[in-house]
Amino acid sequence: MSNSDRTDFGFEEVPWAEKAKRVRSVFASVAGKYDVMNDLMSFGVHRLWKHFTLSLTGLRPGQTALDVAGGTGDLALGMLRQVGKEGRVVLSDINSSMLEVGRDRLLDLGFVGNVECLVADAERLPFDDNSFDCLTIAFGLRNVTDKAAALRSMHRVLKPGGQLLVLEFSTPVAPGLKPLYDAYSFNVLPMLGRWIADDAASYRYLAESIRMHPNQETLLEMVRTAGFGETRYHNLSGGIVALHRGYKI
Amino acid sequence: MPATPAWLAAVEALLNRGIQASMQATALARRLDATALRVDIEGLTSIRASVTGGRLALAAADPSRESAAHERVNASIKGSPFALLRLAAGNVQPETQAARTAVRGDAEIANSYRELIAAARPDLEEELSRIVGDLPARRLSQFALKTAAWARQARRTAGENIAEYLQEESRDLVSRPELDEFLQGVDAARETVDRVEARLTRLEQRLKG
Repeated sequence: MSNSDRTDFGFEEVPWAEKAKRVRSVFASVAGKYDVMNDLMSFGVHRLWKHFTLSLTGLRPGQTALDVAGGTGDLALGMLRQVGKEGRVVLSDINSSMLEVGRDRLLDLGFVGNVECLVADAERLPFDDNSFDCLTIAFGLRNVTDKAAALRSMHRVLKPGGQLLVLEFSTPVAPGLKPLYDAYSFNVLPMLGRWIADDAASYRYLAESIRMHPNQETLLEMVRTAGFGETRYHNLSGGIVALHRGYKI
Repeated sequence: MPATPAWLAAVEALLNRGIQASMQATALARRLDATALRVDIEGLTSIRASVTGGRLALAAADPSRESAAHERVNASIKGSPFALLRLAAGNVQPETQAARTAVRGDAEIANSYRELIAAARPDLEEELSRIVGDLPARRLSQFALKTAAWARQARRTAGENIAEYLQEESRDLVSRPELDEFLQGVDAARETVDRVEARLTRLEQRLKG
């Protein structure tokens, strides 16, 4: 098997077709405790990262938005508030277990009618061209097998003038942060995973997949190559997370 | 491309809300669609402002001169932070402003961006109410206005008191009436000298002729 047939799954190399299956099993295993773990692992800071992302959507009442790999629906919820009853938000995820948690949460909060939930592969989004005013993907792109295909697919479904927001773990740039961050993510995260979610392996994969994800500049170039214009990125928490943005021009 | 700081994104979000709320700003943004302006704030940073789909986008730009030369922008403007702030606020004295800021490229587009930012200026009370609610925002806004008015009044009073002390107590400075009297004397002396000079010139010409 040639190298081009294989892709990363954390620090492991797996056949291209197997990554989606393995990612699906990771998230099926952690879906129930996903939100609690996010709060614990990030000390709640993931809420600020998501709030920052939502503050930049530029969505207005009546517009449409797509949250790709939206999981438990944090961003979809914020965007539903922005587009109002006349607008529409689609929450999609390749993992039905995660999507179920997100769908139930939105229903429990009273969002019905202007929200759709569907299992969809980010590489082949099942929507017409030029369908959405804004598209978000938070902590999802890293798990996609063919990131370039996913970005092209997102570009296709965005309306001209629409904005893409990619919130994802990245490479720390603040001086002295990297060794602390490495120690935390390779030692503390799997331990938290074992204690809280009874699944250390999934959280080891999380730490490894972050290291294998393209850094800020590489991802910016990928976003540009997919056809987006006016691209830029914001480092959050010293570069632990970066928000990449681009418009379909 | 350098990372765009989060504060710039916050400014962009504020201005975009201002654009949506103002018909004049919306029309300006529509006119500026697909244009870009580079702003070099001396000693601080470089920013690329562009309008796409009626929305303003602000991004950090590479401050190097090579980057400025190769970047595709319709206009660029360079100046000190203070001069650019005054320009953005519309507080423009053309003859002095020209010396403090340098505009290259399409000056009409640069001016339209200035007008866009002035028209999209956020209502701070409205923005505050999004965070703390309407009533506390109103109270905080009134408190801020009263504090600003008090600060202005205090500065004026302090200036008057210092001037009075220097003129009346320490006598380091002369008072305005004394100064006016002195200046009038200087004017009178200059006029007398001018008249004497003119007479002497006339006498010289008569003697020669």
